[in-house]
Amino acid sequence: MADVLAPLAGKILAVLVEPGAKVEEDDELIVIEALKMENTVYAPSAGTVKEIKVKIGDSVEDDTLLLVLE
Amino acid sequence: MRPYFEKMPGFGKPMKENRIARTQDSRAKLEAIEAEIAAAKKAVEEVGIPTAKINERGGLTVWQRLEYLVDPGTWQPLHSLYNPADNEEGTTNVVDGLGKIGGRWAVIIGFDNKVLAGAWIAGQPDNILRVTNLAKRLHIPLVWLVNCSGVKLPDQEKFYADRRGSGAPFFRHAELEQAGIPVLAGIYGTNPAGGGYQAISPTILIAHKDANIAVGGVGIVSGMAPQGGFDVAGLEQLINVTRDMKSKPPGSVSTHYDSTGFFTRVCDEETGVLDGIKEYMAMIPAYDPKFFRVAEPAEPQLPVGELYNLLPINQKSDYSFDDILARLVDGSEHMEFRPGYGPEVYTGLVKIDGMLIGAIGNRQGLLPKGYPEYADYPGIGGKLYRQGLIKMNEFVTLCARDRVPVIWFQDTTGIDVGDIAEKAELLGIGQSLVYSIQNADIPMMLVVLRKGSAAAHYIMGGPTANRQNAFTLGTAATEIYVMHGETAAVASYSRRAIKDKDSGKPLEPLAKTMNEMAQKYYDTSRPAYCARYGFVDEIVDLKALRGYLKAFAGAVYQNPKSICPRHQMLLPRVIKG
Repeated sequence: MADVLAPLAGKILAVLVEPGAKVEEDDELIVIEALKMENTVYAPSAGTVKEIKVKIGDSVEDDTLLLVLE
Repeated sequence: MRPYFEKMPGFGKPMKENRIARTQDSRAKLEAIEAEIAAAKKAVEEVGIPTAKINERGGLTVWQRLEYLVDPGTWQPLHSLYNPADNEEGTTNVVDGLGKIGGRWAVIIGFDNKVLAGAWIAGQPDNILRVTNLAKRLHIPLVWLVNCSGVKLPDQEKFYADRRGSGAPFFRHAELEQAGIPVLAGIYGTNPAGGGYQAISPTILIAHKDANIAVGGVGIVSGMAPQGGFDVAGLEQLINVTRDMKSKPPGSVSTHYDSTGFFTRVCDEETGVLDGIKEYMAMIPAYDPKFFRVAEPAEPQLPVGELYNLLPINQKSDYSFDDILARLVDGSEHMEFRPGYGPEVYTGLVKIDGMLIGAIGNRQGLLPKGYPEYADYPGIGGKLYRQGLIKMNEFVTLCARDRVPVIWFQDTTGIDVGDIAEKAELLGIGQSLVYSIQNADIPMMLVVLRKGSAAAHYIMGGPTANRQNAFTLGTAATEIYVMHGETAAVASYSRRAIKDKDSGKPLEPLAKTMNEMAQKYYDTSRPAYCARYGFVDEIVDLKALRGYLKAFAGAVYQNPKSICPRHQMLLPRVIKG
């Protein structure tokens, strides 16, 4: 299991995966709008998306749990 | 040093299918802008008298002369859309670029003889100064195709005088010659006054049999003494004098070959002049490229076409600069300098056509937690922080020591701001980079991949580094301005917004003004605008970028002013540790 956390505070702009999706290391998972940029959050390792904890439009804080990989 | 350079570590990742699919819209937008730029370039090529008419008169157009002169597949045009004075002709009336002649790189420029017989027009002196600067920086020959009718008289006040006016190129020719850089001229047609000096100031003059060059042409010789006005009798006299002089214009071949001997050679055929230039190019010192190659040339391992999927047109989207660079350099190999330090900036050694080149570029996206180390806020790619600035200073200085030319890639929003950043010395370290660049005295080129903004556009090898920056390229995604238009509107009008609010005025008019300002910033930062007003020297298709990098590498190593033996280089050892 791997928790994917928000690397910085911002607004969820896009969720690029669905629960059950298989991902490889460095696959794009979520885009957070912050600091005037659209910042991509990448998969830290290969796995399957178990659960997505955020949706488009959510405001998140630094270290908020975004999704769970297993 | 073979173990260092023959096979460097590979870098860059292959693109995944889902990413390619997701970026197709961005790709299409980039390609649409490239198509617009291509159409604009085509329109400039076709301006003036039709080619068929020039050919009917027995002449070739400047484009046909270039086609004959330049080795196939080597022409890298510059300043195609440059028209800073908004001339009605849509051009500065010179055509220029880098190209090989008989296997040797030259900076090549010619008057467009389809337009006003190749006249001087506004903006042209600045174009020529860019070109002479280019020859000087690259230390390669300048080749002129002279066919210049002199000043477009109704517009003379726009370019004849001034410190950087139309006479300045003659001094630049002398400057090149004093630096040991030859200027070759093929001379066609009638070249009076300014055209005469365009023709006489180069080093070797090869003329077509019908060419003439003169201090003054028929027009001014026949009407030189002002009479206080014009009347019919005066015009009758003028007609007779001009008719007489037209039959034998001043400065023809019989004068400047047979009598003065200014012309080195005279050719019966137009193509003979170009053959003469080829002959003289073969006499000019040039190293065999093998002399400086550190490895056999190789194409990138990763597909160049994927650049269109990697570089987002959306200025807010992040991307991997390393993946872009890996699609531009030989073998997709590199030696990165100080990875991990100053993570917002890439610095490293790469090979272009087998030649060693230093590469510097802005990385995008989120930076590692805790960076910048001097602040309690997160860092973001595209911005410059203390470590990145220090790293670029070190890299440029080491490249200079090892005589390695540098290619910069900009996509920058600026240097970190605020009092914390000031305490971290960013203002001083940024200016240190300017000093390092100026001190380097090595050829540099710049590609503005996307954003060129704020002081970062200056300090990252921007065109304002006049003596080091050989030329600057833009892409379909390029936008150049001091800051984003909305940021500028806020900076300009935030106090007024408070005043208007406090005095009970409606805010709609101010919002309209701010929107107009933001729109103006947008309009004046587009790729075509950047090319027209000289922010860049050319907008280039992404798939054509590597051709320019190869031209730069080939040109700078053709006849360098100084050499560092590769076994005495320091930078590769510093990287290896």
